[in-house]
Amino acid sequence: MNDMARPGAIDPPYLYPDYLSTRLRSPKEALVELPAGAFDVPGPLVPKGFVRKGDNDLTIHGKRAPLGEKMILVGRVTDEGGRPVRNSLVEIWQANASGRYHHPGDNHDAPLDPNFKGIGRTFTDGEGRYRFITIKPGSYPWRNHPFAWRPQHIHFSLLGNAPVQRLVTQMYFPGDPLLAIDPVYQSIPDAKARERLICTQHLQTGIEMIALGYRFDIVLAGAASTPMGL
Amino acid sequence: MTQRSPSQTIGPFFHLGLRWRDGGKVAFSTRGDRVVLAGRIVDGAGKPVGDALVETWQAPPKGAKGAARGKSNPFGFGRVETGKDGRFRIETSMPAGDVPAIDVAIFARGLLKPLRTRVYLAPREKVEADPQMKPLAGSKRLETLIARHSGGAEYRWDVRLQGDGETVFFAT
Repeated sequence: MNDMARPGAIDPPYLYPDYLSTRLRSPKEALVELPAGAFDVPGPLVPKGFVRKGDNDLTIHGKRAPLGEKMILVGRVTDEGGRPVRNSLVEIWQANASGRYHHPGDNHDAPLDPNFKGIGRTFTDGEGRYRFITIKPGSYPWRNHPFAWRPQHIHFSLLGNAPVQRLVTQMYFPGDPLLAIDPVYQSIPDAKARERLICTQHLQTGIEMIALGYRFDIVLAGAASTPMGL
Repeated sequence: MTQRSPSQTIGPFFHLGLRWRDGGKVAFSTRGDRVVLAGRIVDGAGKPVGDALVETWQAPPKGAKGAARGKSNPFGFGRVETGKDGRFRIETSMPAGDVPAIDVAIFARGLLKPLRTRVYLAPREKVEADPQMKPLAGSKRLETLIARHSGGAEYRWDVRLQGDGETVFFAT
């Protein structure tokens, strides 16, 4: 008894057996409904100094440029009502161009890139826009099922301006043939909702002869209460 | 209405992007009474969940401001990862109010969306009186939301994701 059959669901269910790790980590009891608005409180508010200049450029922290296809990634964060989610923290992390994370737990036999850690953060501006400079991450194999490979993706964490807006998700790339066999992506029940996690190639967003442009807009839940001054 | 973007798992390597310096030391404009919340997260087989991220949000202590930009991290917000043994520890302040509670979101590999729960730092009779807990009135499961005061500032609260003694999680 959980949320498997909730009609019109946007998020994946907790239990999605094809993604093996959900089997022992998904609750079996029914979720408890709290009175409406129980979680709809404002905050948290991240101090301005939390993000430093250059934190949104993942390509400048080594001695040289990282390997891989350089990309400019821009997007706009809004709520369901189309209102911009302003001055709000966006954090990303990703594998390098070979599909290896700069993480001690990643034992995939692909080379680390000393010039790429794969960590970025920024605030959205007054219109909800953000911008990152990075490289396109590689695919990598994982142990979920025979010949399993994750599609290329960038992890996104958005704090929003209220706990109900909190979102952790992954951004994918258009035309990736691995999307069809990826249980993480396929766990999203609605095809249209799945497609909202695929960025679009947008050449003019790039830098001529330097970087390819992509756009990825994100829609968070609407919040009745957002902090003052936003 | 535009449709929301769906959630995806945080995966096993979130430490890269989401580890905050002093994420487990929750600050406020006024400190109030110190609380140390410690616990352990286990899965349906009783095995420790060694790669979870725990985020907390709560009312400020008596006399402190609510949501406010802190000095280094946002006031009132905690973020810690579990160790390989599934344990986490958050240092914070006692929330103001008659029935102090801390809202908790748990993210992990294998969780395609966060689990939302709450830990009360109050005895059961007071928790029963919280109108938001009406759906759990008289239920044994309510116990899973109540921390055990283990002396001084220390509170102990364990989380079971699945199975016997499963923690209560909320729909959102």
